[in-house]
Amino acid sequence: MSFDFAVILAKLPQILSGLGVTILIWVGGTFAAVVLGFVVATLRRFGGRGIEVILRAPIEILRGTPFLVQIFLLYFGGPYIGLRLDPWLAGLLGISIYGAAYYAEIFRAGFQSVPVGHVEAAECAGLSRNQIITAILLPEMALLVLPPALNMSVILLKETALLSLITVPELTMTVQAIGSQQYAFVESLVILALVYWALVELANWLGRYAERNLSKLSA
Amino acid sequence: MTDPAINVSHVSKQFGETQVLRDISMQVEAGKVSCLIGPSGSGKSTLLRCMAFLEQATSGSIHIEGEPLGFTDGPQRRRQSPAELRRVRSRIGMVFQQFNLWPHMTALGNVAIALRKVRGMSRSDAEDRAMAQLDKVGLKERAHHYPAQLSGGQQQRVAIARALALDPTIMLFDEPTSALDPELTGEVLNVMRQLASEGMTMVVVTHEIGFAASVGNRIAFLDGGRLLFHDTPQAVFAAPREPRLEQFLDTYLDRGASMLK
Amino acid sequence: MTWKLFSLLLEASLMTILVSAVSILMGLVMAIVLSGLRMSGSRVADAGAGVFISFFRGVPLLVQLLLIFNLLPVIGITLPSLATAIIGLSLCTAAYQAENLRGGFEGVAPGLIESAEMAGFTRMQSFIYIRTPIALRMTFPALVNEAILILKASSLVSVVGLIELTKMAQNLSASTYRPLPIFAAAGVIYLAINLVVAAIGQRAENALPGLPGK
Repeated sequence: MSFDFAVILAKLPQILSGLGVTILIWVGGTFAAVVLGFVVATLRRFGGRGIEVILRAPIEILRGTPFLVQIFLLYFGGPYIGLRLDPWLAGLLGISIYGAAYYAEIFRAGFQSVPVGHVEAAECAGLSRNQIITAILLPEMALLVLPPALNMSVILLKETALLSLITVPELTMTVQAIGSQQYAFVESLVILALVYWALVELANWLGRYAERNLSKLSA
Repeated sequence: MTDPAINVSHVSKQFGETQVLRDISMQVEAGKVSCLIGPSGSGKSTLLRCMAFLEQATSGSIHIEGEPLGFTDGPQRRRQSPAELRRVRSRIGMVFQQFNLWPHMTALGNVAIALRKVRGMSRSDAEDRAMAQLDKVGLKERAHHYPAQLSGGQQQRVAIARALALDPTIMLFDEPTSALDPELTGEVLNVMRQLASEGMTMVVVTHEIGFAASVGNRIAFLDGGRLLFHDTPQAVFAAPREPRLEQFLDTYLDRGASMLK
Repeated sequence: MTWKLFSLLLEASLMTILVSAVSILMGLVMAIVLSGLRMSGSRVADAGAGVFISFFRGVPLLVQLLLIFNLLPVIGITLPSLATAIIGLSLCTAAYQAENLRGGFEGVAPGLIESAEMAGFTRMQSFIYIRTPIALRMTFPALVNEAILILKASSLVSVVGLIELTKMAQNLSASTYRPLPIFAAAGVIYLAINLVVAAIGQRAENALPGLPGK
């Protein structure tokens, strides 16, 4: 057996374009997921008992079912209720909603871990509800949720590979397509694995860098 | 002349910049009980742990019944092979301040596991033997309890049974009652007293001065990493006093007095 | 959604459970070996285990499965898709479980290892009889969590040709043109399995004897 990686690497521009789509969906999806997750967590925390009960079910459903089933439902099932989405839009939406459920949990845990005493102290000092949220809760929470939030974003990066199964032209689909054109399928997969590995390690490294600097700021 | 059970010869130990033990030499004769006392930070626990090679002396040597422990004899100081170390160590039983019972095994399991895995006994033989040891420390009916379900005093008695099951000739006790509530120290001290009366060679790091005075054949007093005394209780407590020892004993009397109030 | 279709999904979910359960257990054994290599004191073993863990946590499972599925025949190994799926899933979960176990091993009090040493255990015996069981008990909730993650991740093994719950849902929705109720039903089955696993895990955790602080 012999492997020929050159024929894959010759298609570098295509690979880079796939990588670009992966990164766009990852960054865009993570951003949307964080925002949506934060809104949900805030509603659960401050919105009263009814909202908390209503919001719990979708979060549990999203966290209890495979992402693959979710995007199949969205992409293949959507048209039957008039929701006809381009693959990339379905992918972006899928990542955002799926991620939001996990971020909502991360933020909920973050809210809970801020000691009650800190909030009471702020109340005694005469701060308004909004002031307490922006001046006390959020900054304290940011430090606590940063590690799991960064971890989740790396998980989302890896989940974007599943979007190849609903024909989003991201990295996995692009490199696999090159592999079958060039009759070098194994080679294409090895390169694919290495690119993801490098990307994930880079993201982890950036995350640790951010954590270090943020904890210095607060110290 | 037979070899002493434990022969500590010119042992020094440094942790980084700090000198924890300074040129300590002492012998423990077979069948005798030595109690190590001294203020905290005096190095008594470190010395005891050196006797089990849980800490390595920076210089000097320790012999167990004439055999080197941890380092080989001879001009070149070399680490013993793990197998050799295990062989010499098999004569030593150790009891820790924090009991260190394995939390995932019952009392019986704690005592039996080494008999099975180290001594190669069958499960039923090991458990019979373990049960006999637990009986000896008065815990036969607690054999199937997990450590978390036992009181501190009971846990420490299981720990003693665990060490005794392996037939050591020497028992080392590292502050065996310091982690116990005062009302539970008695049951542990009684087991140790019984053991001493049976002729076990023992080295005990302790704050129980009364126990040291009544059970110890020798009292070793350490201060600042130096061995200031290693003598009979009569000599240590009655004879003309070393000022540091007197000061140390006074703080004990104060503490004892305040407990009575 | 007819009962006929639903029962086909239920039947396929048995394959999902089988693949996940076997993978979790094999992954657990591998994770213990990886932890042992990391703590063996050998730099080569430590680095090797580190690279393994980093790789399998760094590459999407889909890519891992495709790579194994396509690589094995090229190097002369042909396996049924069930075996391929299990190998792929267990390698991946082994890396994650090793990372979970690391915290457990670090949490074993040094005194417990010293008392094993004094009882005459070799390093290997101490690892097998003392450190590993204690580390496993301390990280048991993470193991239950990982089991749920693997149940969900097993939806990907359809790419190596195994017909489990997700693949069955794909097939049925292609033949009936009714993807919406079929994928929704598949989702409900996944959710139900995961709730059961979580409940069993909770029970098992409460029943585990001898955890410190209990």
